[in-house]
Amino acid sequence: MDKEALILFFLSAIAIVGIGMLLSWLVAPKSKNIQKKEAYECGIPTVGSSYMQFRVGYYLFAIIFLIFDVETVFIFPWAVVMKSMGMTAFIEIIIFFGILGLGLLYAWKKNALRWD
Amino acid sequence: MNALTIIFYIMAVLMVVFSIMAVTSRKLLRAAIYLLFVLIGVAVFYLAVDYMFLAAVQVVVYMGGILVLIIFSILLTSHLGERLQVVKPTTMLFAAVLSLVSAGVVISVINGFTFITSTFEGDKLTVAHIGQQLLSYDQFGYVLPFEVISILLLAAMIAAIAIAKYKHQGKS
Repeated sequence: MDKEALILFFLSAIAIVGIGMLLSWLVAPKSKNIQKKEAYECGIPTVGSSYMQFRVGYYLFAIIFLIFDVETVFIFPWAVVMKSMGMTAFIEIIIFFGILGLGLLYAWKKNALRWD
Repeated sequence: MNALTIIFYIMAVLMVVFSIMAVTSRKLLRAAIYLLFVLIGVAVFYLAVDYMFLAAVQVVVYMGGILVLIIFSILLTSHLGERLQVVKPTTMLFAAVLSLVSAGVVISVINGFTFITSTFEGDKLTVAHIGQQLLSYDQFGYVLPFEVISILLLAAMIAAIAIAKYKHQGKS
């Protein structure tokens, strides 16, 4: 069955990466010192935490991305039956796009797409 | 025992382990990554019961969208690098009792529920079936919910932008 092949593909992909990492861990020479734990082994020592607070702009972009992500989920089944259903499917998706296009227009107008 | 059963048990064990790691990890970003593995497990389960479309949705929306949102919200918090504090024993006990009770409720409800066998005709539910049903305006067609969803998404988007922009103006 194809789904079992797909699942085996997932698992073997994980296994191949895992075995590769395990082998390199086993074979590679190890030298442990404090320098190795630095984020950068050469250059100026880092000051403070390398974690920092992100700008809120990323979050806004993520939300807009998520909404269009959900939109694509509905376009997948539409694309499959578009040919067989013909004009009705086309008109329905035009309405769908039209309503969501308003959202994009709103984001555009409110400068949500601008990085400032 | 066939291949599917073996895969089910492997994935089930992995999911339980990663779920526990997600809630016990004291670093927020790592907890989010453990959650990612749990979501992969759910996608594999959908594949195992032949829900190809639902598996794709799981990957696209949950792993590609929701998790990105979760990670971004973690990156927005200020105490990012710090380890979370261990909660008080009384709180831990309370949480343990509460989660055991809710697990009991869920298990008893699932045990008492009689699952109806699907009345779907045909051997396999394909994306074409879903599309047909989604766009059809005959009886049991879902064209109205399909269009209403776009309004829901529109509302979500406008609300998100309105809130984010409001905060932005308040700061500066």
